[in-house]
Amino acid sequence: MKKQSILAIGAAFGLLFFATQCDKNAPEAPSIEPYAETNLEASAGTWKTYLSIDDSKTVVPTPEAPGSTAYQTELTQLKASMAGATAEQKELAIFWGSNGVTRWHEIARELAANYNVPPNYNADGTYPAPDPANPTAYPRFPFANPPVASRMFALLGVAQYDALVACWKRKFEHNRLAPYKNASDIQPLIPTNDLPSYPSEDAVVAAASREILKFIFPGEVSYINEKAEEHKNSRLWAGANVQSDLSAGDSLGRIVAQYVINEWAKKDKMGQANNQAGFPDMKADANARGISVLWTSLDIPSRPPMLPFFGNVKTWNFDDATKIALRPPVPPQPGSTEFEAAMDELRDIAKNRTREQQRITAYWADGAGSYTPPGHWNRKACELILEKQFNEIRSARAMALVGTGVADAGITCWDVKYYYLLPRPTEMDPNVTCGTGIPNFPAYTSGHSTFSAAAAEVLSYLFPDHKSELDAMAKEASESRIYGCIHYRFDCEVGLEVGKKVGEYAVTRGRNDGSE
Amino acid sequence: MFKKISTLLLGLTAGLSLSAQSPTDGLMMPQGQLCILGQYTNSQWENYWQGETKRSNSNLGKVSTQSAMLMANYGITSNLNVMLGLPYVWTGSTKSYITGQKGLQDLSLFLKYQILEREALGGAFKIQTTGGLSTPVSNYTNDLMPFSIGVHSKTASLRGIVNYTANFGLYVTAEVGHTWRSNVTVDRDSYLFHDELVESDEMPVPNVLDYSARIGYIKSRLQAEVWYDAFTGLTGDDIRYNEAPQATNKMAAGQVGVFAKYFITKRFAPLASVSQVLSGRNAGESLTWAAGFTYFMDVNKKAEAAK
Repeated sequence: MKKQSILAIGAAFGLLFFATQCDKNAPEAPSIEPYAETNLEASAGTWKTYLSIDDSKTVVPTPEAPGSTAYQTELTQLKASMAGATAEQKELAIFWGSNGVTRWHEIARELAANYNVPPNYNADGTYPAPDPANPTAYPRFPFANPPVASRMFALLGVAQYDALVACWKRKFEHNRLAPYKNASDIQPLIPTNDLPSYPSEDAVVAAASREILKFIFPGEVSYINEKAEEHKNSRLWAGANVQSDLSAGDSLGRIVAQYVINEWAKKDKMGQANNQAGFPDMKADANARGISVLWTSLDIPSRPPMLPFFGNVKTWNFDDATKIALRPPVPPQPGSTEFEAAMDELRDIAKNRTREQQRITAYWADGAGSYTPPGHWNRKACELILEKQFNEIRSARAMALVGTGVADAGITCWDVKYYYLLPRPTEMDPNVTCGTGIPNFPAYTSGHSTFSAAAAEVLSYLFPDHKSELDAMAKEASESRIYGCIHYRFDCEVGLEVGKKVGEYAVTRGRNDGSE
Repeated sequence: MFKKISTLLLGLTAGLSLSAQSPTDGLMMPQGQLCILGQYTNSQWENYWQGETKRSNSNLGKVSTQSAMLMANYGITSNLNVMLGLPYVWTGSTKSYITGQKGLQDLSLFLKYQILEREALGGAFKIQTTGGLSTPVSNYTNDLMPFSIGVHSKTASLRGIVNYTANFGLYVTAEVGHTWRSNVTVDRDSYLFHDELVESDEMPVPNVLDYSARIGYIKSRLQAEVWYDAFTGLTGDDIRYNEAPQATNKMAAGQVGVFAKYFITKRFAPLASVSQVLSGRNAGESLTWAAGFTYFMDVNKKAEAAK
């Protein structure tokens, strides 16, 4: 009896042990069913682009005619690719077949989160700086903080969009139908459409995204190349493009993205955004304007401020004079009645923060190791695109508008932050403890609020039936910084106002790009 | 995360190891007797293991977790005990600006069954097993580590215990246990797990293997013991460089401790313990001390009469 119970308990123990080792993986992302693209957007080749690349640079070779031996050979090769596709490759055909633009933004969010690592201090109290010449060594380059991420998402959206506009122009010049329209025995794994297939829009998106992400994340070249190859090959496994569609698309996407890199990204003054040597003059300038209590780092040891000159980076949808005009008035200064009232609200929250306030704080924090607030809105944009089943060029247009709107919000906000250099609440009273980490830059205005209002404004233009939801999200994102005691209420309220105005400039671009 | 370590992570296991008649020791309550344990625990660390790399963080300073726990242990029979415990936990640090957290943590229930007791080698040889369940009793945040008061996982555990007690009072106990922990919902809806972006608010929480060995003396009014216990998450990822821990992390720690309990009266015994974490992974190098008391009551007339 006793022996039997020992055995029984031993067996139960063993069973429990093994039975519970499964299912310790993270939840799988929901699969996205590829959808048919009904609106061909035949005039999209004329839509207004962000950069003006010369027409001659995006010319693609005239494709072989459907009846040619060369094309027939390609069809035969395509059938062989489809027949030889493994189960995993067929899954990838579906994976990329849903929406190439949003898939690349997903990759961008993952890279942003992985690279959003504030460098740890050295033993001597200094901080190492990421080195673009040695991007894989710690601290890896770049530190994908919110401004860096916002610029990256904008460049990615713009390159995808500009390249697809060129692609659409060429598609309707050459009017080569998809392989399944030219060979009835090709049954593609994804929905068919009547869109000309040369050059391949997927190859354009893959190449443009690849070039931008390699430029931003030079330590990830092999991973990014691998993803681009996977994306392009997925079209062969799916039966959606022949090789020459892909080759022409790759070339076109690469040329346009390189143009964006050379003509914008290398000239937008991002290289000077972390000019720490210029910071003392910045403070002296604020002093000269009568601002006496200036922000200092709360990190131990004191950390150099995050990108003090990011406010000088070139904006996408308005000029420098407009940016200066968007600057809000000087915030309530420490010691003033208005300032103390704002502090009192935070003192109370720090003492009595509710569980719901903590939840909201954490939900929107998007701090170290996350895809940042711009990434949060990037994801929301992708979700709405998929809900409305946008085609590739509409998707890229949306991501470019949101991306540039959010990046402009970041630049405008950073200009304000380092113009007024307002201390964080906790600097003024250490009893104001926080529900999340305190960012290492001045308080006024709130970045979360500015990013979010701009994003909500642009997304409400693109998805008007979601406007009330989007506005509520932006408001909650903004208030999350008050609940977390990261910001004074006036930081957030003014941030929302300025962000909305920034977003309006992106909307104006959208209304005038010829797509409506 | 670190707070969970010594006292909390395993649904109180390690914390209970500080007191007598716990889910991990070799002792049983007699039939009809109820033991109430009240204990204060203070656990602090300055160094911690980020993955397997030991470091400190000047922006955290010293992180502390304190708890006040009540536990009841009742002898249904002399071979079957039931235990119920609930701690109130509060956290803080010397340097961080994150608000320390506080609240009622997880209610735990254990059934302990003595499978075998044999006289041998001038003493008694026992085999016992403990099954446990725990569940959070408040909606505390598990997404503000290392300041969260727990992981907010529901757990089920099973352990086996072997004990030999010599008639002159010396005893040795070996224990091994497995704790299954449910996945949890966090406040965020995206996080990195093994460097992959997960866009969900559900986090997988590793199951845990733990084991301990203790040598002690129990005779008359005194019980004294030294122990080593260790636990390890069976899956999970490491804390990312210079970032905060999260519920997915594979935590492990091994600690040594001493414990003593002395019956001032037949029913009342103060107790105290000190332990130090020696090795770990994604865990704090905690120094923990605890002080408390046990109070014994006979709630069953028959048991009273039997005495």
